[in-house]
Amino acid sequence: MDTPVKPKPVPVVNPWAKPFWDAAREDKLVIQHCKDCGSNIFYPRIACPNCFSDNVEWIQASGKATVYTYTVVESNPPSAFIVDLPYVVAVVKLAEGVQMLSNIVGCKPEDVRCDMPVEVVFETLNEEFKLPKFRPVSKPL
Amino acid sequence: MSKLKGKVAFIGIGEVPTGRFPETAAIYHAIESAKLAIRDAGINKDEIDYVLPCAALFSPQFNTELVTCRIVEELGLKNVKKNCQIFAGGSSSTCATDIAASLINSGSASTILFVHADRLGTGVSLQGGIDLFSTAGISSEWEVPYGQHYSSIAALSTMRYKHETGCTDEQLAAVCVSNRKWAELNPNAFFRKPLTLEEVMASKMLSTPLRAKMSNMLFDGGCAFIITSAERARAVTQKPVYLLGEGGVVTHFVFSQEPDVSRFGWARAGKAAFEMAGLKPQDMDIAEIYDSYPIYQMIGFEELGFAKRGEGGEMFLKGDTWPGGKMPTTTNGGMLSQGHTGAGGACALIVETVRQLMGKAGDRQVKDAKFAVETAVGGTYMDAQVTILGTEIP
Repeated sequence: MDTPVKPKPVPVVNPWAKPFWDAAREDKLVIQHCKDCGSNIFYPRIACPNCFSDNVEWIQASGKATVYTYTVVESNPPSAFIVDLPYVVAVVKLAEGVQMLSNIVGCKPEDVRCDMPVEVVFETLNEEFKLPKFRPVSKPL
Repeated sequence: MSKLKGKVAFIGIGEVPTGRFPETAAIYHAIESAKLAIRDAGINKDEIDYVLPCAALFSPQFNTELVTCRIVEELGLKNVKKNCQIFAGGSSSTCATDIAASLINSGSASTILFVHADRLGTGVSLQGGIDLFSTAGISSEWEVPYGQHYSSIAALSTMRYKHETGCTDEQLAAVCVSNRKWAELNPNAFFRKPLTLEEVMASKMLSTPLRAKMSNMLFDGGCAFIITSAERARAVTQKPVYLLGEGGVVTHFVFSQEPDVSRFGWARAGKAAFEMAGLKPQDMDIAEIYDSYPIYQMIGFEELGFAKRGEGGEMFLKGDTWPGGKMPTTTNGGMLSQGHTGAGGACALIVETVRQLMGKAGDRQVKDAKFAVETAVGGTYMDAQVTILGTEIP
């Protein structure tokens, strides 16, 4: 394989999502909340995708979630992730009802299951970004 | 409900073999496919007044040529009033069919040529293809940084589907085997050697539980079709293939925002299409179900009503979907066996649907096929598109 190790892709940030990434840098998981219709919103939107209101605020999420679905990537990943094999990609459902893509860390990949409870941890990507990831709630030591 | 039932028909199809052709320029696949479609239709090329080229992903330069009327010039078409690219990823051909039908039915167009060609087999490297499909259609803010790519996406659907239904890996592998049975009979397919469950199960794990032989591979290829009014179609061909029903549901852009990754919008899209056609799944002679990975063929097959949820796997395993089976499914071998040409995967599938209904499918012809359903999906399974075609208008 003549593929050189590529740098990790960094999030291409939309201006209105900046508060999310600023909070993540301080180990805080925030989502939007619509003050008009009460919807919790992720990923960050320009306006509430439920009622179109601009009256949207940021709230701190509990960081608790369950694994909706997952996969252990064992081979043929994007170039920048070859060094990470095996890694777990998962869709997690936050206690606040919204879904996000993340990685499950802090356990053996083969121990991940659908519907297992997880909690947020923050992993440093570079000086500018920390990525919210999730680990099993009863973290094996 | 759409008023297009029975108003337009396919009159010609063309396709070049799917494979690796490093010496062949992409434009050849486009022009040869279009030429075959025009000959198949038996019309004068200058009857075509509207050209809808699909987008090609391997090269922005080539794609720009498609946008800027190269097909019209290469074919020497003299009466084209508009050349306009249609692109909805894997749903392009289905969207183009609907749009073409609307243009014809409104009187804006009379005879429309749709052409797809791409060179993802030799125009990009294997890793280049993986990298392309770890960004194309994947959110650069919310998913790319987590190592998401198309195999992991298919695996995420597969894992949840297995969790909810108890479907086994063997049943998923049976989809690949079923499609290969058809591809063995398809001269345009890349993979034509018999495939066994054991071979699928022994292939390299990509993203659990998805294995290498459960993944499509990218190739070069092209195909084309021609649509005209039902009236004109009856004048030029013995066997017009009518558009009878269509339904579509767009569900998401970012895969992780999809609330049901093991169902998507297929049930709703299917219901709309069958209602419009005035037909039921039991009336279908063929199910041409989009299959970039076995999970999506399984979900589409079940959600459209060809099996109860969780019971489709047994049908693929038992041979119900094989040549000679009671529900012939994905009869060109699909992207898993004919090969994936980007947006062309579903273009090939709709061309196959028409081919079967025209009775031109050679060794794999489904006898007396009258009605067929075809599905397509684009992006990260962002939509569910269903088209019903038939040789008569019920």
